[in-house]
Amino acid sequence: MKKILLETEGLSKSFSSGGTLQHVLKNIDLKLYEGDFTVIMGASGAGKSTLLYALSGMDTPSLGTITFGKEVISGYSSDELAVFRRGSCGFVFQQIYLIDGMNVMDNVLAAGLLVNRDRNALVRRAKELFRAVDIPERDWKKFPTQLSGGEAQRVGIVRALINSPRILFADEPTGALNSKTGLDVLDTLSRFNEEGQSVVMVTHDMRSARRGNRILYLKDGSVLGECDLGKYVSGDRERHEKLSAFLEEMGW
Amino acid sequence: MRKSLLIAASNLRRTKGQTVAIVALILLASAMLNLGLMLSTDYKRNFDRCHDRLNDGHVTLVMTGNDTKQQEFLYRTLEEEEGVEEYFCQDALFMVGSFAYNGGEVNTEFVILEKESALSRPVGRMEIVEEGEGKSGVYLPMLYGADGKIELGDMMDINIGSHVMRYQVCGFLNSAMAGSHNCSMSALLLTADRYEELERLGYAPASTFASVRIRDKEESQDFEAALKNKISAAYPAQRVLSNAYGMVSSSRYISQMICSSVVNAMAFFVTLIALVVISSNVINYIQENMKNLGALKAMGYRSVQIVAGLQAQFLGVAVLTSAAGIGLSYCLFPALNRMMIAQTGIPYVMRFLPVPCMITLGTIGGAVALAVWLSARRIRKIEPIVALRQGVLTHSFKRNHVELERARMPLQLALALKTCASGMKQNITVSITMLVLSLVVVFSVLMAQNVIVDMMPFINLIVGETADACVNVHPRAEDDLLQAADRDGSVEKIYLYSSAEVCHVDGIALVATMAEDFSQVNNQDVCYQGRFPLYDNEVAIGAKYAREQGLKLGDEIALTAEGKDVDYLICGFTQISNNLGKDCLLTREGFERMGAFTDMSYYVDLVPGADIEAFRKRMEEGLGSDLNMTINIASVIEGSAGVYVSLMAIIVAGILVLSVAVIAFVLYLLVRTLLGSRKRDYGILKALGFTTGQLVLQTAASFLPAVLLSTAVGIAASAVIINPVVALFLGGIGIVKCTFILPVGWTMLSGAGLVLIAFGLACLLSLRIRKIAPVALLAGE
Repeated sequence: MKKILLETEGLSKSFSSGGTLQHVLKNIDLKLYEGDFTVIMGASGAGKSTLLYALSGMDTPSLGTITFGKEVISGYSSDELAVFRRGSCGFVFQQIYLIDGMNVMDNVLAAGLLVNRDRNALVRRAKELFRAVDIPERDWKKFPTQLSGGEAQRVGIVRALINSPRILFADEPTGALNSKTGLDVLDTLSRFNEEGQSVVMVTHDMRSARRGNRILYLKDGSVLGECDLGKYVSGDRERHEKLSAFLEEMGW
Repeated sequence: MRKSLLIAASNLRRTKGQTVAIVALILLASAMLNLGLMLSTDYKRNFDRCHDRLNDGHVTLVMTGNDTKQQEFLYRTLEEEEGVEEYFCQDALFMVGSFAYNGGEVNTEFVILEKESALSRPVGRMEIVEEGEGKSGVYLPMLYGADGKIELGDMMDINIGSHVMRYQVCGFLNSAMAGSHNCSMSALLLTADRYEELERLGYAPASTFASVRIRDKEESQDFEAALKNKISAAYPAQRVLSNAYGMVSSSRYISQMICSSVVNAMAFFVTLIALVVISSNVINYIQENMKNLGALKAMGYRSVQIVAGLQAQFLGVAVLTSAAGIGLSYCLFPALNRMMIAQTGIPYVMRFLPVPCMITLGTIGGAVALAVWLSARRIRKIEPIVALRQGVLTHSFKRNHVELERARMPLQLALALKTCASGMKQNITVSITMLVLSLVVVFSVLMAQNVIVDMMPFINLIVGETADACVNVHPRAEDDLLQAADRDGSVEKIYLYSSAEVCHVDGIALVATMAEDFSQVNNQDVCYQGRFPLYDNEVAIGAKYAREQGLKLGDEIALTAEGKDVDYLICGFTQISNNLGKDCLLTREGFERMGAFTDMSYYVDLVPGADIEAFRKRMEEGLGSDLNMTINIASVIEGSAGVYVSLMAIIVAGILVLSVAVIAFVLYLLVRTLLGSRKRDYGILKALGFTTGQLVLQTAASFLPAVLLSTAVGIAASAVIINPVVALFLGGIGIVKCTFILPVGWTMLSGAGLVLIAFGLACLLSLRIRKIAPVALLAGE
């Protein structure tokens, strides 16, 4: 029996645009489980990213509740959400968003020292993670703009994982990368998921989506359907066909 | 040109906030510069206009006695003088007197005239500036009514000699040469009935009042000294009092001089800060818009057009704002004018002054154009392709400041230091601002302590010597006075401190101050270099005068009094503003080498707690008609120095408010620029879990190192230079060296206050961070 990590009830999000109200998320009831690699898919404008922001505490819902473990985070203030995010969530962004004025190590430690004041332990963990994602020691003192896109995104993953978050959110993590470096990043995410890290990833790329064990398909702000792909195994053709069929069924 | 204007308009649209802050700084700078220029140019000339309008004398003289023979001697003397253009003499009453004013008293030499005759004098005319309903009473110089302390219709007691007269205030008068106690004589006009009454009572001796216009007014002081000496020699028994255009025109404008110096200095500092801010803005603009600049160049814009666009933007703002600042200065001027009239006592009608306006516009516009040109020069070096590819990087990879791996400090502090270390322009702007403001704050503390809290240091500097009372007796009663003082249990110290006019080479008049023993005088700072004269062949002379004449310690100078030349050795330099630096100190024996010493003024210090008024009464009773006057110096200081205290209080309050405003505007610009350039970083940090409070503190703390260091350096340096700087301001009135006491505790507290205000304002201004949402980052905003 999987343990529920995050649960939403009647989650809705509306935006006012040009005097008209746009309902981007509509009454979503959803459960995310520990250890899952959940992939959220959907056409452009379906509300994928909005759902990710709401789930991760980056944004507040207009209606409904979000419960993380036993915490109802949907009523939190922006500062309470910040405290929640720093300890419980990790983020990997499409545009990577490392801070240009800090070197690689400092980008990671700036996030880590917010939660863990044991500097030595933190530096040790950062080094372990760098090695795990193949960032050589010579790059640790480099500035983000001196790295390739793939390297920078892997540093982004290290920063997201430095505080051992209960859930890792990834918003189109390969969107700004070429296919080779994108693959490296996906391999890294898969490897951490195999080690027990819960991951929620938004993508519109089928190749990336194959990495998930659970696919949610969003359409017009509602979860239209979901598909259980099971544990990721590289080169699993049946998995690919199952995902294709599901997406075809959803109108992809 | 049109392309440049398009660039300027586009920049202005995008930088509204920065523009508002720059506008505020330039508005302050231009308003103060124009105010300062109006005060230091036209306001001073107002005396000349008033003097000309009233056809007043360049030398004014009053002497006791009005018999025909004496007056004929005076006419003959004036007729024989080559330099005399015209003159007018009339009967007057002349006596030392006093009245209550401003919590103390005004004690001066009153020249009492019948009102109608004074208004119709062909030379030295007086005018009524305000008149009430009263038909019988007194008209006072207008400075006593300027701040509403004495009002029309008030009944007031005026001590004339040792008698009290009660008059209704019928109006206020204006007189260029006798309209203030700063002229050394004050005119009082009485209605005909009250003049006849006073004449009949004989409380003030019948006298002759003369106003003399000479061809070269620059010679007024020398002419005055010569004329006075001639008359005194011919009529040694008569009291003669005189003043000269040179001294009166300056001494009536001491407040104006101090005020315009302070306002000009503040204008300079605020302009400097505005230029630093503009320069920093231009450099930031280039860094942040490297790609756009590349695009403009790629589209065919030339560097000169882009720079011209920036010039149009900043110069347009500067010129328009300066014009508004000039308008603001005209709004502020009436309040300043009221304050000034309370010291000058001369009406000033505000009018549009094109020259200060042009100088203000030219100075601010020119300075802004230069700052923009210097800061924008690097635009010429931008290659369009390189810029479009963002090949011109704005971040320096030289160093990762404050490595978190090694920094043994809290994360927030480490990140604040990182921001600080990577923002040199920010630090330079903050440092220049805080250095300037430190000087301003130290000046405020210095003035507050030495003028407002305890005015004695200021009084000592301006007046020279103070004691509790001054007693002036007829020479024959000198021994009686000393014996009476000896018997009086309340007298702690009595010493001769008297003055007379002497002449140096070419007839230049100096005021000589005599004492038997200068070690007895209270203000030992008067002689600031060398020493007081000890022997009868020594003289200490005014430092300002010595500089002008190229005199050094050890030089020998010849002084003349009563027709006798005597050589003296310069043993020290003095600074007393009484005669605008033309003064000297002699021992009594030293003066007597030239002639008889007749002015017996003794300064008296009473034992603590003794009643000065009671002492005064005892002296009046004991010495009778031999007593010329007694002055309650403490009360006089309270009355007349009150003007300086209130003026200084307003200046100090004004510059402190201005300092806070300047810090606020500068920090507003810096914080806004910082938040603008680091918006993405703040979004990332928020997404990672930093709270708004943490980021606000981090941002405000990033200014602290520069604020702390520059304030500490600024306060320390200012403490060292402030006295010489103040001496520079007061140089015009003969002050060469200031020894004001700077209270260390208050200075440090003020520095700490400055830092706290800067930090508080930075926190307040950084609250805009709360508007930066991490979700906006994800949405790519």
